[in-house]
Amino acid sequence: MADRYSFSLTTFSPSGKLVQIEYALNAVNQGITALGIKATNGIVLATEKKSSSPLADQSSLSKISNITPNIGMVYSGMGPDYRILVDRARKVSHTGYKRIYNEYPPTRILVQDVARVMQEATQSAGVRPYGVSLLVAGWDEGIEPEEEEDSDDSDDSEVKKPTKKTGGVQKGGPMLYQVDPSGSYYPWKATAIGKSATKAKTFLEKRYSEELELEDAIHIALLTLKDNIEGEMNGDTIEIGIVGAPADHLLGIDGVDGAVGPRFRKLTPQEIEDYLTSL
Amino acid sequence: MVGKDCVAIACDLRLGVQALTVSNNFPKIFQYGDVFLGLTGLATDVNTVSDVFRYKTNMYRLREERDIAPRTFANLVSSSLYERRFGPYFVSPVVAGLDPKTSKPFICGFDSIGCIDFAKDFIVSGTASEQLFGMCEGLWEPDMEPDALFETISQALLNAVDRDALSGWGAHVYIIEKDKVTKRLLKGRQD
Amino acid sequence: MPGFDFSNYNRNAALHARGVPLPKATSTGTTIVGCIFDGGVVIAADTRATSGPIVADKNCEKLHYISPQIWCAGAGTAADTEFTTALISSQLELHSLSTGRKPRVVTCMTLLKQHLFRYQGHIGAYLVVAGCDPTGTHLFTVHAHGSTDKLPYVTMGSGSLAAMSVFETQWKPQLSEEDAIKLASDAIMAGIFNDLGSGSNVDVAVITKDKTTLKRNFIRPNEKSAKLQSYAFPKGTTAVLNEKVIKKNDIGRYVTVEEVPLDEEKMDVDT
Repeated sequence: MADRYSFSLTTFSPSGKLVQIEYALNAVNQGITALGIKATNGIVLATEKKSSSPLADQSSLSKISNITPNIGMVYSGMGPDYRILVDRARKVSHTGYKRIYNEYPPTRILVQDVARVMQEATQSAGVRPYGVSLLVAGWDEGIEPEEEEDSDDSDDSEVKKPTKKTGGVQKGGPMLYQVDPSGSYYPWKATAIGKSATKAKTFLEKRYSEELELEDAIHIALLTLKDNIEGEMNGDTIEIGIVGAPADHLLGIDGVDGAVGPRFRKLTPQEIEDYLTSL
Repeated sequence: MVGKDCVAIACDLRLGVQALTVSNNFPKIFQYGDVFLGLTGLATDVNTVSDVFRYKTNMYRLREERDIAPRTFANLVSSSLYERRFGPYFVSPVVAGLDPKTSKPFICGFDSIGCIDFAKDFIVSGTASEQLFGMCEGLWEPDMEPDALFETISQALLNAVDRDALSGWGAHVYIIEKDKVTKRLLKGRQD
Repeated sequence: MPGFDFSNYNRNAALHARGVPLPKATSTGTTIVGCIFDGGVVIAADTRATSGPIVADKNCEKLHYISPQIWCAGAGTAADTEFTTALISSQLELHSLSTGRKPRVVTCMTLLKQHLFRYQGHIGAYLVVAGCDPTGTHLFTVHAHGSTDKLPYVTMGSGSLAAMSVFETQWKPQLSEEDAIKLASDAIMAGIFNDLGSGSNVDVAVITKDKTTLKRNFIRPNEKSAKLQSYAFPKGTTAVLNEKVIKKNDIGRYVTVEEVPLDEEKMDVDT
């Protein structure tokens, strides 16, 4: 019974804290800043691609990842831990959802699955918590914000007005979540994680508005990064992922009924350069 | 059976052990939220499978905070049946409902190991399926209003089961529209 | 699909021994073909699904998506072709995400044959695998027991002989895209009209190195003629003993949904 002696690494301190989780958060807070902004018609994820040496091959490094065609993810903290979570997120979206329902999971379901993986690492023997916070951006099918209000007006009933609201999430459209090492997750309109998260969030609070379009959001994301970046900003040192209109040109298929292109995609260095010059 | 902005699903009410009729009130249609599932085959499996999907749809509703859509439910039925590829339930299910987003009719049928038959017109299943194929092929027409759809599906079912010794004893018919569901009990032969 | 559930197996065997007939699985009697041309590959299929002698589905889809540039035509047990291709498609998608490369046809073919060989032919999937990848254009057949072939033109299913007769008389090397589509659909038509297990329409998928074009119901030689008169019954024909109407709006009367103001989160350790 060797496992009898392999205690959980995360054990409550007498004051009720799980210090290992706090240390994991410290690792996140030393990480490179990443941010996400939700717009009316999409989301932008952005981060800096910093390398320790000018000899490093930047083009092979990638911090923003596709999970499903409509969901993408970025991190702050430890890269190796992040890559494990990306693999798990992709895998669970198939085994726990697509192979059952023949469709990809909604953002919240995927976030919950990833959050469960991270929570398990705070309560299992012989493991340490993941040293990353994640920003997960996705687009869900359902009633989109604008449609919702329209359909509410058309009700002409008597006593109890039936609303489309179920108290739950029939809502579709853009979704932005943050997941922490503890396994807790939060929905955001805009947020930042990592080294200069506090500063970036203050900046975002000033700049954010409810009527933001995706193009404005990309603009603000770049401005926020600019404020918090040490080195030069160009297509090779910045990474941007967007959730936007279906990119049917990336589909590669013609004539399939109901097939739509992926909504999440990473911007190419050239596209980033174009946004930077128009800044 | 598909109509104009509506779908119908119907079943007979007999439960029997080969030629011996055990019950004349054994409905085979089950409702999960806005989706309807018809199950023919071995009665013990009809009960088991209907319970399994009640459980699975309830878990889906709790997890996702929404009712399951007919197409999603159809894929769930399919993958659940295929999991038992080498020890199947003896059922052939039928799914009917309206798409929650577009309100378009959706119907489909399955074999016992989960192969989906997406049809634009009608799906049949059970011991009287050959008779039903003939009736539906003759009576069905596109874009029927709810009332016409009711008469068509009812006549197709009643006349088909009258030529099947193992089916009959009354019938249930559900007409599913965007904002209402009408359930009718039909008068059928009791022999 | 690691994890089939065999818990009903013994019960079903016992039931069968006592004379309960085993349920009939839908099979795609089927004619499927594939043919390489200059710059790509075309696969085609009929659209009839059968259950014994009964036509179960008059317009089913036998061309299965694996990845944008790899498609499969399936014959045999319909559920097996559907789920085997879906499983391998899922595995290839994950593989391609983690490698950052486009999936290859040989990878797909190898995954399929390993999966099918493991099940010793009990998974009754007979497949034509076709696609374009960075290494070129490929066309394979995979049999249910796990054997594979690589050929410039292939046919499978109950109509394979009818279809092969067309290929053997008309195929020539270096076909153009149009000629290959014509040849493949002629081969399917031979199956539709000469094999009872095949019927209805012709589906075609053309895969080139740039994109895939699915031509669903490319040829529809068997349209049902419109009914000249109607059997519609007048309202009230059917005798009804009982009627119950459930309206969505009425349900709202018994359920109220209220937004609960959220207190500040006090539970979370971190912020």
